[in-house]
Amino acid sequence: MLKQSWKYALALVCAATLACNSGKAPAEAAMKLAEEAVSGAQAEAGSLVPDDMKSLSDDLAAAKDLMAKGDYKAALASAQSIQQKANDVLAKAKAKKDELTATWNQMSDSLPKMLDAIKSRVDILSQSKKLPAGLDAAKLASAKDGLAAATTAWAEAQDAFKGGKWTDAIAKATTVKDKATEVMGMLGMQAGGMAAASPAK
Amino acid sequence: MPDDKPAQGGADYTQWHEVKSGETLSKIAQHYYGDASLYPKIFEANKDTLKDPNMIRVGQKLRIP
Repeated sequence: MLKQSWKYALALVCAATLACNSGKAPAEAAMKLAEEAVSGAQAEAGSLVPDDMKSLSDDLAAAKDLMAKGDYKAALASAQSIQQKANDVLAKAKAKKDELTATWNQMSDSLPKMLDAIKSRVDILSQSKKLPAGLDAAKLASAKDGLAAATTAWAEAQDAFKGGKWTDAIAKATTVKDKATEVMGMLGMQAGGMAAASPAK
Repeated sequence: MPDDKPAQGGADYTQWHEVKSGETLSKIAQHYYGDASLYPKIFEANKDTLKDPNMIRVGQKLRIP
């Protein structure tokens, strides 16, 4: 009788072990796919949507924790959720990239024209025997410095864009626009506007 | 008749000046550059619409480089 009970106990232990292990393989497979999805998303979206990427990485860490604790059912569900979330993050990154590219295209069309207009005016004013009302030598020197700084910053912005640092490139280009606008104001330039000079009496 | 209107569309950072009665290129150069002798700069920038620096019309729109 005792020998028979021992056999039943062993059978129960084996059955329980099998039940526990049955969810491990699919969870491991899903976890592998989730890790690949997060890794792929990091490369594409890391610099574009960093907050979303951090959330995704945190989810992956939590899923790994569930695996380590042997909660395969929860780990499987979490891993599958991560794969979907990684796709969403990639889509969001693509939208962000498109938005930044459109902004960049607009800026790369307008800023060189702005800098050229300033350079032209600075070159002419540098030849003037007497500066116009509202402008003195110190102000013109400051405008020249501003133009040089804006030109350098524009080159840096272009390098950043070429290097895939879209957000940095837009930020730098925005400082160029601000500086160029300031310099145009110093020189009394009304961009795109129509002005009428009062004829000298 | 030459088209002397400012170009439309896109970013335009050109400064334009509408000629008023009594103005000459020299007077316009004096106003913008402080030096009337720099009027050829304005003439050169508007050669598409100006044939003679002494012939500008009231209402004409000139680029100020």
